[in-house]
Order: sequence, then C-alpha cells, then structure tokens
Amino acid sequence: MIKLENISKSFEGSFRPIINNVSLELQKGEFCIIIGSNGSGKSTFLRLIAGEHKVDEGSIFVQGTDVTRKNRNDYITSVVQDVNKGTIPEMTLLENMVLSYKGDKISGLSFYKNFRSNILHEIQKLGIGLEAYLDTKLMHLSGGQRQIIATVMAIISEPKILLLDEHTSALDPKIQRILMNYTISTIKENNITSFMVTHRLDDAIKYGDRLVMIHNGEIVFDIKGDKKSSITIDELLSLFHKYENLSLIGGKDE
Amino acid sequence: MNSDLFFSSLQQGLILTLITYGVMIPFRLLNFSDLTAEGAYPFGGAISTSLLLANFNPFVSVLTSSLITGFIGIGTGLVYLKLRVNSLLAGIILSTMVYSVNLRIIGKSNITLFDSVSLFSTDDILNNISILFIVIFIIVVSIKLFLHTQFGLRLRAVGFNQDFAYRQGISITKYTILGLFIASAISGVAGSIIVQLQKYMDIGIGVGIVIHALAALMIGEAIIGNNTINRQILAPFIGATIYQQIQGIALSSGLPPSDLKFFTSMLVLIVIAMKEYGLTYRS
Repeated sequence: MIKLENISKSFEGSFRPIINNVSLELQKGEFCIIIGSNGSGKSTFLRLIAGEHKVDEGSIFVQGTDVTRKNRNDYITSVVQDVNKGTIPEMTLLENMVLSYKGDKISGLSFYKNFRSNILHEIQKLGIGLEAYLDTKLMHLSGGQRQIIATVMAIISEPKILLLDEHTSALDPKIQRILMNYTISTIKENNITSFMVTHRLDDAIKYGDRLVMIHNGEIVFDIKGDKKSSITIDELLSLFHKYENLSLIGGKDE
Repeated sequence: MNSDLFFSSLQQGLILTLITYGVMIPFRLLNFSDLTAEGAYPFGGAISTSLLLANFNPFVSVLTSSLITGFIGIGTGLVYLKLRVNSLLAGIILSTMVYSVNLRIIGKSNITLFDSVSLFSTDDILNNISILFIVIFIIVVSIKLFLHTQFGLRLRAVGFNQDFAYRQGISITKYTILGLFIASAISGVAGSIIVQLQKYMDIGIGVGIVIHALAALMIGEAIIGNNTINRQILAPFIGATIYQQIQGIALSSGLPPSDLKFFTSMLVLIVIAMKEYGLTYRS
C-alpha cells in the first residue's frame, strides 16, 4: 500500500538529519503504531508521509506509484493535536462534516443538507450525544469535542492512508477511551492503512498489527504479527531505557 | 420626505446593492480584500455600451458584459495566487489595466446612448425600480442556493481557513478564482445596468465605488449582523439602500456635492467606531 524508500529529512540548523535513511513498507489495512521519545522524529516522519514536509532524499510510493513530489491530500489524511487544522470553528458541525466527504464521490452542485441523515448516523455511532450539536458552530463546543469531530471527519473522508499524531492526548481519560475505541473500530471495519503515534505504551501494546520505534530519526525496532501481539509493557520499557541511555552516552561525542 | 427623492435614492441604492454583492463575496466569503470592483463596474458598463451601440438586445448585453467582466476577477485571482501579489494590489493593477481597455472599447472618455434600446425607461422610475428588484432577487436567490451546495460550502471553507482547506484536498486556487469570477460578474451587471439606466457611459464611473460599497456593506452588517449566511446575504441590500437614502437626504438638505466624498468616508468611520464600541447588531 505504502512504501518508504530511504527517506531523509534535515532542517536548516539541525546538526543531524531529523529523519535519517528510513525505509518502511505497509500492506493494505495494516495498522502501524509508532513510539519514540520526544524529539525522536515521529511527528516529522508523519508529516513527510502526508507531504506537509518534502523529503530531502528517498522516495514514497503509494500503491506502486511514486508520489514523492505530488500533493497527496486527497488520499492521505491526518489528525493532529491542533484542532484548528482539522476543523473550521466558524462553521456548524454539519457543515464541517460534509466538507470531509471527498469531491469525486458527490456532485459539487448537490445541496449539503442532503447529507444530514448520513452524518447524523455517523455521529450517533460515537454514542456521546454530539448529534444534538449538528447545527451548532464548532466554536461553541469544547476542545475535546472538536478533536473527536476532527477524527470522525478524517475517517469519513475514506482516506487510503490515515495518520494519527497523538490525536487523543489533549483529552480527559474517559473521552480518550471513547475516541480511541471509535478510531480503532472504524479503522478495522474499513480496513484503512494507518499510522498512529502514541506516547502511551499500553496503547502501543493493545492496538495495531505492527510496532515501530523511532530514535534519533531512525527505525530502531520493528515488530509485527505474533511478536507484536506477545510483547509486554516491561519489554517496551526496557527498550526505551536502552535507547534513552544510549542517547545520553552518544550525546557526549555529538 | 419628498417621494421623488425617495425613489431616485432607492434606484441608486439598488444599483449600489449589486456592486456591494460584488464586494461582499470576496471580502466576507473569501476573506480576500479586493478592489477589483473599481475596474469591473466600469468594464461592465463599457462592454454593455459597445453592445448597445451595435444594437444588441439590452438583456443579452447585460448577460454578455457580466460574463466577460467576470474574467477580471479571474485575473485578480491569478495575480494574487500565482505571482503572490497582495490581494489589494492585484485588484488595483487589474483595475488600472482595465481603465485603458475601457477607453479602447468606447473610444473616448464619455459617450451618450440616447438612441439605443434599454431595459429601462427615462420617465417611469417605478418600472426601473421593479426591474432592479427582479435582478437583485435573482442574484440573491442564486447566491443563497450556491452557498448551500458543496461548491459554496468549500468556497466558504477556503475563506475561513486555507490551511484546513488544503489538508482536506480542497483547491484554494479553484475556489478563490470561482468566487472572484462571480463577484466581478455581479459588478459587471451593475455597470451594464447603470449605462442603460442613465443612457450615458463615463470612463470614471468606477472611481471610489469600492468605498461606497464597503460603506453600504458595513452599514448593512451593523444593522442586521452577518453571523448567519442569510444575514450576510441580506446585509448588502439593506446597507446599500439605506446608505443611498442617507446620501440623498444629506444632498437635498444642502450638503454641497463637492463635500460628498468627505461625508461618505466619515460615515464609514462612524460605522466602524460604532462597531468597535459595541453599538451595532450583536447576535
């Protein structure tokens, strides 16, 4: 589905590449969890996939087509912590949701109110009462509610590849659970190829078919299948400590 | 108040209403500060003049000049998007270019159309006002319907948040240009109508027109607000008709026409001040 070949990225003024010669391939429907400490390059990695940053070197293929230099917003969608990137506060919930239906599937001249029942159905699935706010401008909703909406919007846009960058981290634990369950079940149901960056190791163990750890811009750990399902939280923790220590030692000669 | 004055101000107000729509669409829906109306309005007039002189049907000449005028909006959009020129400057550049084009089209700086056919009559002002109401009604209903389509929704999304639109795969170029085309086309309708109404075309009719339209827009928004689509769509009509009444009363009660521009700009400042201090409509 998606294949990254030796991609690298540096920013002006950084001593070493933020992403250094990374290769990774995901099959259709594969769900890849990305972990790593702060500053390891996880978010940059997702932005490179989304095309928000251009890679310096290497290539990105989606379904065999080289898309390295192409705009891929039509089929790669991301949900980030900043809700202003994912929603329009001045528009109502209905208007926001309709915008995420992708262009070629519906006529531009159809009235957007026609999608009301589809959208209502989609929001009711969440089971948190958001359907009452269908005609409310999002600026009147809470940050958590808007983040949930941004996630739902990303999913109903039926992307080929979905990128989730700690999309639940700003929410309270209860809403975090609800949003995570919704995310996971819809990803599975629609067989969407996904990447999810998370800081929560329990989530990293519980979800996904594949687990990748990024450290200093490189993939240092990559497991899937039985190995992924049998890994324990202690093993992950020791992995973290190993690389944290390494970087402390490595820091001396940098 | 004298009814002749009322009706002639109303007639002026209805023309200004059209231009105000041409200004409202970029300013409010696209969040694009645009002066293209300054060129689009006389351009519509110039094209219509040449069509009327060639004995085209007056209705056809309104439609044709409107469509052709729409392309100035596309020009402004392209200069802004592709050459990364500030939106105000892009509009000024296009308007300046159009000034020369207009001189080419009508051949001199002003021209009379007394012998040409027209949608409007010289003595029946109520008839003229009715036609203007119909034109405005058609435009308002079209804008309203358009804004409720997917296209209209995406256009508003581009105006609110380009970052969001880009991430949703909505083409900023396409919708900016579409909006500016529609806006200029409406200003073109106004230009085409004014020459038929006055039976006269002057190269300078566009000078300062954006300020008048903005004043009208702000007065309309101060009265009914713009927090919903319906209010935003009605604001130009309400603002422009009231604005022309105020102007008519001021002139008839002794304001020298030479002071009019000062008066107009002062009115704009007063409305802005009222808005700043919370004296206008609030939802």
